[in-house]
Amino acid sequence: MNQFNHLDTDVLIVGGGVAGSMAAIPALEAGLKVVICEKGKVLDHCGSIGCGVDHYLTVMDTGPEWDTPEFLIKHVPELTDHIVDMAVASKVIHEMPRVFRKIEALGVDFKDRKTGDYYRLRSFGLPGTYHINFDGTDFKKHIGERVRKGKATVLMRTMVVQLLERDNRIYGAVAFNFRTGEWFTIRAKAVVLAAGDVNRLSKNASGMAFDSWHFPYNTGDAQAMGYRAGAVLANMESVEATLTPKGFSTQGLNALVSLGAYFVNKSGERFMFRYDKKGENARRAVLADAVINEYLLGNGPVYLDCRHLSQEMLDRMEYTLQVDRYTLPAFYKQKGVNFREELVEISVSELSIRRSGVYFRGSGLAVDTHGETSVTGLYAAGDCATVSGGIAGAAVLGHIAGEGLVHRVRSTGSLPDIDARAVEPVRAQSMAHLQRDGDFSWRELEDATRETVTDYVGVRRNDKGLRLALQTLHALAKREPELKADDLHGLMRVHEARNIRLNAELMATASLARTETRTGSAHWRIDHPQPDEQHRRKFVLVSRGADGPQVETLTTDHAIADAFARNKTAAAA
Amino acid sequence: MKTDVHNPIVINPDTCVKCNLCDWICPGDLIYKEEDNRETLPVIKYPDECWYCGLCQTICPTQAITVVFPDNMVHNKTDVATLLGKVAD
Repeated sequence: MNQFNHLDTDVLIVGGGVAGSMAAIPALEAGLKVVICEKGKVLDHCGSIGCGVDHYLTVMDTGPEWDTPEFLIKHVPELTDHIVDMAVASKVIHEMPRVFRKIEALGVDFKDRKTGDYYRLRSFGLPGTYHINFDGTDFKKHIGERVRKGKATVLMRTMVVQLLERDNRIYGAVAFNFRTGEWFTIRAKAVVLAAGDVNRLSKNASGMAFDSWHFPYNTGDAQAMGYRAGAVLANMESVEATLTPKGFSTQGLNALVSLGAYFVNKSGERFMFRYDKKGENARRAVLADAVINEYLLGNGPVYLDCRHLSQEMLDRMEYTLQVDRYTLPAFYKQKGVNFREELVEISVSELSIRRSGVYFRGSGLAVDTHGETSVTGLYAAGDCATVSGGIAGAAVLGHIAGEGLVHRVRSTGSLPDIDARAVEPVRAQSMAHLQRDGDFSWRELEDATRETVTDYVGVRRNDKGLRLALQTLHALAKREPELKADDLHGLMRVHEARNIRLNAELMATASLARTETRTGSAHWRIDHPQPDEQHRRKFVLVSRGADGPQVETLTTDHAIADAFARNKTAAAA
Repeated sequence: MKTDVHNPIVINPDTCVKCNLCDWICPGDLIYKEEDNRETLPVIKYPDECWYCGLCQTICPTQAITVVFPDNMVHNKTDVATLLGKVAD
């Protein structure tokens, strides 16, 4: 054990983004000891929105019926094409106003600087103006500050590589610092996985893996570790894409559509209404699906058209776009394009595993209404969990998990000692990548994964293609022990690349099981091109089996937690 | 630093105060600056892993950093249809 620094804590949080930080806050308020492991270096700017955010989705309960949790909850089944855990989604929506007020109390100013009021917009098919458009440059800074003031222990540039689990109960994790090479064993009564979505998963226009719409340093670490520890995952078959300026996979679609931008094809046709009566205000999944179809029909290139907008709206759009991605104006400038006066060619982004372009149906670790996964003591929140809703979803489910784990921690007696025989091989196998002589790099593993995902697990799937992809992914898995790392940073990337590959395998496995098409190209089976409401209005659940991922289905009339072993045991008792 | 890939940020050696903030804020662990040494410049050690977020540019106290996009991003020629998968039959 002398190879490890050992920490004992009540709560370990994996990922210091919005979900992880919002989980830390109630735990700290309850007086619990909290350790956060984060691959970034500074809590105020780490995670998906460390650079800023421009929209926050919330019901505010200000009076009108549409602004109540009940109204939004009523629309969730249609927003998710009926594949949604209503128990958890309802809890999240009910908690939205309270968590929103709490974030305001942390110092985040959601109000419009000019009017002094909230500027609320409608977008992405939502049945009300739920998105607050605001300057969230410092959003994460306020949340990070609160966590630091709460005296959480934060291990920066530290990657958790394995959870410690015994008898379906989590009791800690193994991590390493990729700057110093220090290894840690962390014993904890509760662990929160909040490491985000899965990126670097498929090809994009620029061909640069780290040029991704979402944060490229989110690589499905939580989903992979949760899976290996026995947790149930759901909705892994669904993929998400967005629309981006061609060549730069960047955020900003919400600002564009909520402020009135159009999309036109090569004939100048504003085509979105052919796909949805809401036109550009349809769900992100529908917008991406429409552009995918236009390209496949030969109607590309597709362009962003803002020329009809008022100067005031264009000013707001220009300001908002650089809040979400600071460098976007520089990109347009270098490109020599003025989006106010010219058409801008757009592309479909690379794919990610996140929430498939709809709100409240996340792809990842299944949780109950306390944020707890099927493994006791293991929680999940944010884009790695099955109820996800952008920044607000991460904040609210994170907060729910942080409150939910308090009881779990207080009712937990002594934890098992950390077994040196269990953890030393984890370190040794990892460090062995630094000694490899071959030339199999994490880049090669990732490139091969991206190629097969793009070709056969992406937006056009069939049985044969998915099986071909699985063959490739299984063959790659066998080669993983050969992976060579040049340095500690490279070792971190080796672990990331392995996690990306595993997530791709889970996605392909779940996609095979969903023999229908659901939410357009979020899960488009060309051999089963229609939704099958009679047989397939079910969750596809994936978990670790004896020989790899095993699949079961559960009707969406149930909460996914009904399939958790501890609830089955409780019901039997 | 690798020389065969595009360098995502340009650091002006005349105005850089060698303070370490760019290393501190980079979310991808790409920028390495020797600590407590006011003589050495930051090094972009893993340039092809950049997200082009510009956090380093925003935090630089002397505006010594400029993000520069590579040609394959700015003047991209990819046929989008090639990103939309193959149909196995």
